[in-house]
Amino acid sequence: MFLSIPEFIGHLHPVLVHVPIGILLLGCLFLWQSRKDKTEHLQPVINVILFWGMVSAFLSCITGYILSTTGDYEEGLVEFHQWMGIAVAAISAFVYYINKKNILYRWQTMFTVMLLLLIIVTGHLGGSLTHGSDYLTKPLLDPGADPDVAVKRKPIPNVQEAAVYSDLLEPVFKAKCYTCHGRSKQKGKLRLDQPDLMMKGGKDGKVIIPGNPKESELVKRILLPKEADHHMAPREKAQLTEQEISLIGWWIENGADFTRKVKDLPQPDKIKSQLLDLQKATIEVKPLPELPTQPVEKADQQSVAALTNAGVVVLPISQNSNYLEANFINPQMPLDSLIHLLAPLKPQLVSLKLSGLPLTDQMLSSIANCTQIRRLELDHTNITDQGLQSLQSLDQLYSLNLVGTRVTATGVLSLKSLKKLKSVYLFQTGIKGSDWQILKRAFPGALIDSGGYTVPFLPTDTMIVRPPKRKG
Amino acid sequence: MTQKEIHNKRLLKEANERALQLVTRRHFLKESAMGFGALAIGSLLGGCHFGSSNGVNSTLFDPAHPLAPKLPMFPGRAKSVIYLHMAGAPSQLELFDYKPALMKLDGQDCPQSLLEGKRFAFIRGVPKMLAPQANFKQRGQCGAWVSDHLPHFSTIVDEVSFLKSVTTDQFNHAPAQLLVHTGSPRLGRPSMGSWVTYGLGTENQNLPGFVVLTSGGKFPDAGKSVWGSGFLPSVYQGVQCRSEGDPVLFIKDPAGMDRDLRKASIDAINEVNKKEYEEYRDPEILSRISQYEMAYRMQISVPDVMNINDEPQYIHDMYGTQPNKACFANNILLARKLVEKGVRFVQLFDWGWDSHGSDANLAIDVGFINKCRQVDKSITALILDLKQRGLLEETLVVWGGEFGRTPMQENREGKQNPFKGRDHHTEAFTIWMAGGGIKKGASYGETDEIGYASIGGKVTPFDIQATILNQLGFNHEKFTYQFQGRPFRLTDVSGEVIREILA
Repeated sequence: MFLSIPEFIGHLHPVLVHVPIGILLLGCLFLWQSRKDKTEHLQPVINVILFWGMVSAFLSCITGYILSTTGDYEEGLVEFHQWMGIAVAAISAFVYYINKKNILYRWQTMFTVMLLLLIIVTGHLGGSLTHGSDYLTKPLLDPGADPDVAVKRKPIPNVQEAAVYSDLLEPVFKAKCYTCHGRSKQKGKLRLDQPDLMMKGGKDGKVIIPGNPKESELVKRILLPKEADHHMAPREKAQLTEQEISLIGWWIENGADFTRKVKDLPQPDKIKSQLLDLQKATIEVKPLPELPTQPVEKADQQSVAALTNAGVVVLPISQNSNYLEANFINPQMPLDSLIHLLAPLKPQLVSLKLSGLPLTDQMLSSIANCTQIRRLELDHTNITDQGLQSLQSLDQLYSLNLVGTRVTATGVLSLKSLKKLKSVYLFQTGIKGSDWQILKRAFPGALIDSGGYTVPFLPTDTMIVRPPKRKG
Repeated sequence: MTQKEIHNKRLLKEANERALQLVTRRHFLKESAMGFGALAIGSLLGGCHFGSSNGVNSTLFDPAHPLAPKLPMFPGRAKSVIYLHMAGAPSQLELFDYKPALMKLDGQDCPQSLLEGKRFAFIRGVPKMLAPQANFKQRGQCGAWVSDHLPHFSTIVDEVSFLKSVTTDQFNHAPAQLLVHTGSPRLGRPSMGSWVTYGLGTENQNLPGFVVLTSGGKFPDAGKSVWGSGFLPSVYQGVQCRSEGDPVLFIKDPAGMDRDLRKASIDAINEVNKKEYEEYRDPEILSRISQYEMAYRMQISVPDVMNINDEPQYIHDMYGTQPNKACFANNILLARKLVEKGVRFVQLFDWGWDSHGSDANLAIDVGFINKCRQVDKSITALILDLKQRGLLEETLVVWGGEFGRTPMQENREGKQNPFKGRDHHTEAFTIWMAGGGIKKGASYGETDEIGYASIGGKVTPFDIQATILNQLGFNHEKFTYQFQGRPFRLTDVSGEVIREILA
């Protein structure tokens, strides 16, 4: 047991360091105060304070050095901390000396300021060693950080085809273990960033026993209560989620193989549902089939601004997209002066709504170039069959609303070449009788909506049910 | 000098004097002492207050244009939402959830296994089972079971998706309604419509973005909190419009004040407010200015859109409206008009579906049937009318109550009720959705053979909220608002998009 005495002394360092910090700080403060007439009487004690500050600083240096040889700390940081600590001790001795001999009187204040700065830097480095280098700034820079968050993953389209280790587990180890058990630091002499080193284990032996997660030190330590000294990850660091832990256990139970795929391992129900969750959680939102997939450059801002100022709603279809939708909802300028502003938006415009406006066939010709348009709403406007001619170039058109216009079957048939057209709304147009059959045949697979639905009047609609008469 | 100029001058003078009162020596000293400290800490904490963890788009609230249209996170399927809430909770067992097995159990004592460890709102002791009080048929091409109580709706089942296994954890009306609309059974959270208008704004700047219409003679039990804005800026709360009399209270100019004078006074007030803003730079002042301007525009646009009399006769026949009355059919026609004009979220509440059997109006075989007849025709008309106008593609319609009803007959305080009725039930009920990128003629979720509990495809109000937000282009997990030191979201900590019913 005597062998561990140096280690014990080393462990006194974190306690001892606070002594010189306090005493030297007091010494500096008293020194500055004593320069004022009112508190001149502090002068005699300063030297005593500085003396004990110097002694404790030296003791801290010694214990710190011993600790650095036994503990496993980030090397560069330890060295920096060590030299700064020695500097504190040296400067404190120097300040003590000049104060005692009463020399360099004018410079004393400057040296104490220097001493103070050194103490701050050394203290901060020490804190960074024990709590991590982002410890101080973390709450300021990342206020929303939640220590229990699941690891962000690349999308897993089919979890059965994913590699157990490199797709499911490696991202977890990377995010939550590598900082202390990786290239830069090997606490407990354990490295987890390479398969062979992972299996080799740390200073207490193997951490993974294939087929036996319950006996594997890695799992054991993760499962220890958070308060326990050996709990991993350390309690102030990001913790593993329940799902991540059970996946690690499942992997070890099935041999801790680094190459096999999910489908190669037996999957109990619990794991199966977690695997599915994993797949679900990483599903990217399916883009709408009718929307373009190619990115496009930003739209001409002058035209957008001009339209917006005229009361037209022109907005990208979503954040991170440059494709535009335009809705002429309350235009405050004559339509013919606005419609030509759409021409420069040709590459971006995918949806256009001109409902209920005095739109004419001539105006329609100015959107004939906007070939990216997918959804076009022209209901309750003045357009006719002639105007529909200019839509023939819109070969991406997906949905077309012509409700309440004077178009006829002839006009709509002229759009037959638009293969992507999926729905056409034709309520209250000039289309009658047998025309509907012709149109439906001309656009197979598209919804040709004739409208004119009725909800018949049923006698029960207005009948009121009364409670049955009761006997007695 | 015109009357207007004199008026403005007087107001400005008054505002200046008020401003000068603030600038005393004491005020200056106090402000400078506290102000510098606040400046320092403000810059230190910069980004902490509103900052979301990813550091972008910390708040969508632009005080000068609080309702300006905004971008969804990804391209959404729906542009607007009509939420039809049958307040009181309609019985799924008489409408959509066909349970022939329950027929045979009619009048028998409820088995202990269904009662042990459960709590009901009114049922005490051992209640009797109650057979479905309706005849069911399979309808449409999808073969959905719908009862005879909804003869019109039966014809459009191929347009909707049923969720037959919705569950909740609240068996009282007010908390359950709050849960459905705000994501929490307790007061204080913003409603779905508020979240949506906060996130997307509204396209028509002459109308409110979130309108609420009520019918059935009573407000929903949870009161106005079901369309409240909670901790979001109050401009996002639902605007309750009335279908009888003035659509919004005090929207008309008072007698003796013409529209020009109204304009003059609003201009004057805004001018004072602008000076105030130049002085204090409080963004809430800009908000107030834009609200005054919007209110002025709404004086014209709201009575116009809220007037259903200029709709053609065939529309009235289709919806079965009742002229000059406050009724559900009129409200639902208004909902269509509002959505057509670019209103983002329309929420309808119809009270009277609480079929306990405690009186004839609340009897499952009397009042309940009358309620069905009041809404059946107009709901059907809404779906068909939206469809023929090409609006159903981008309008999400949701129908439902706040919970379901028990397969047992209610025995209030252990005694038989005078009429047939069912108690509140949390473990299974039906909600349907249509339009806005929802699958047509689909059904998701199943209940056991008596309709007591979910046996698969269970969803919660959070899942429905997540789905609605998804259709509008929002990831419900990332759509948050920083409040009291943490980011809040509509679905709180749960919710999953019901992808099974998405087209």
